[in-house]
Amino acid sequence: MDGVTLAHGIGGAKDLPISTELVVAGAVAAITVSFTVLALAWRTPRYDDATSGRPAPGWLRRIVDAPAYRLVLRAFGIALLGYTLWAAALGKDSLINPVFGMFYVLLWVGLVFASLLLGRVWRAISPFRAVTYGLCRLSGADPATGLFRYPARWGHWPAAAGLFAFVWMELAFPGADELGSVRVWIAVYAAVMLVGGALFGYAFHENADPFEVYSTLVAHLSVWGRRGDLLVVRSPLANLHSTPVRPGLVAVVSVLFGSTAFDSFKDSTAWLTRVQSSEHPLLLDNLALLAFCLLVGTVFSLGTMATGVGKDVRRRDLPGLFAHSVVPIVVGYIVAHYLSFLFVSGQATLIQMSDPLSNGSNLLGTADWSVSYWLVLHPSLLASIKVLAVVTGHVLGVVAAHDRAIALLPKRHQLTGQLPLLFTMIAFTAGGLYLLFAA
Amino acid sequence: MRSRRTWAAVVAVLVGSATLVGCSGDDSGSSEPVVVEVTFADGDVTPKGERVEASTDQPIDFEITADEPGTIHVHSVPEQEFDYGAGSSTHEITVDKPGLVDVESHHLDQVIVQLEVS
Repeated sequence: MDGVTLAHGIGGAKDLPISTELVVAGAVAAITVSFTVLALAWRTPRYDDATSGRPAPGWLRRIVDAPAYRLVLRAFGIALLGYTLWAAALGKDSLINPVFGMFYVLLWVGLVFASLLLGRVWRAISPFRAVTYGLCRLSGADPATGLFRYPARWGHWPAAAGLFAFVWMELAFPGADELGSVRVWIAVYAAVMLVGGALFGYAFHENADPFEVYSTLVAHLSVWGRRGDLLVVRSPLANLHSTPVRPGLVAVVSVLFGSTAFDSFKDSTAWLTRVQSSEHPLLLDNLALLAFCLLVGTVFSLGTMATGVGKDVRRRDLPGLFAHSVVPIVVGYIVAHYLSFLFVSGQATLIQMSDPLSNGSNLLGTADWSVSYWLVLHPSLLASIKVLAVVTGHVLGVVAAHDRAIALLPKRHQLTGQLPLLFTMIAFTAGGLYLLFAA
Repeated sequence: MRSRRTWAAVVAVLVGSATLVGCSGDDSGSSEPVVVEVTFADGDVTPKGERVEASTDQPIDFEITADEPGTIHVHSVPEQEFDYGAGSSTHEITVDKPGLVDVESHHLDQVIVQLEVS
């Protein structure tokens, strides 16, 4: 171990804080849009999962639904896993080992951008679905359902736990940049996926695989959707509306948003100087990470429940029913937070991937590429894109919440019932912008 | 109809804020060095994570007083590091790309300052 901490070893320099003008402009835009939507938007629910979206062009459907296409994607996923395991098992414990970049950059961040553009990427390439298929074939079970029915009340809770395990390792565990830690994390993850898949079939991956849940959730903001089996092109809002409501969805969203916010926060001067002067820096970081996730979940739950409800809706179901609407806010903030990291470290990872064993080889022909710092060299542009991403996410979130509110809440509570959630969303967006500014 | 009106309003707001954003200026670089005083004593270091503003390519002088020799890592792109000896010494670096750059003592596992290079 060469002693370089991960965030630096992989990321190098971090983004400059965004300017006050940008923060104010972004926050003003978010607030104005929020009330504009409330005042002017449609009064009857607009999205219907059974009819929304246009069928994708025939040629595209033929390709995407072709068994050969699925097989190719699956093989790609298996190859990627194999490559990762090879570098993880036999590579050197050095930050030029591509395992770190493949794990913390391509998997964690690249997957979000890929899913936003292409749809359910992890579901398509997940090597663990392939293993489940094989195991179920051997045991004679149906791969879709496995040997036992996946308990519906577990929902996304295991995925939330898995996502927390990832962010904990990335942000609050001192050995994040040691090969041994990454090996153990991947081994435990793979073991859970293998056993879960063998027992519960694909239902386990759909509900409990942290990366599949994350990727599929983000894919609901892409233009690619499924109506039954039909591949459709939808507006992201219609697509978002079709997000299945499962137990633990609020926890998933809270972990994603809370941890990203903590990642910004821990670089703020106030926190950095406090932690470094403390006797127990690790404990402080761990508590703060947990507190951020819990705070997001609690504030969001309160914001959705503080409304009058009709007889047909239980109040405690509301956070789950509204959880999809906070996804764009979370994704907008994640895009803002990670954009330059993906740009710079993503390139570095592609270069390192040519040399998995750190012996100077050029297996993929990328070893002699050099990293372009174009985005980093245009800090004003970068800052504007970041604020635009946050504000766009906010707009989509507010519209999605409005549409769900008029579908769920009784007429007389529709306006007042939306207000607490609207304020919650403004708080999340403004909080995110503040962290981009202050940290 | 209603939805079209909503979207028109939303777009108007976004365009409005984008124009607001357009007018952030840059400061031109200075060649006067920025001085950062660092003290190592009894296994501890000051400062502990303060921000120091600098321009790209502006010299940054670390004036170090230390009771034992050590190494400082600068997490710029590319990374830089320099050794200092016991006693007083000055070490000059420059950073050529904008960003927030951690300057660390790995030995003590501490961020000494964060350079805000713009």
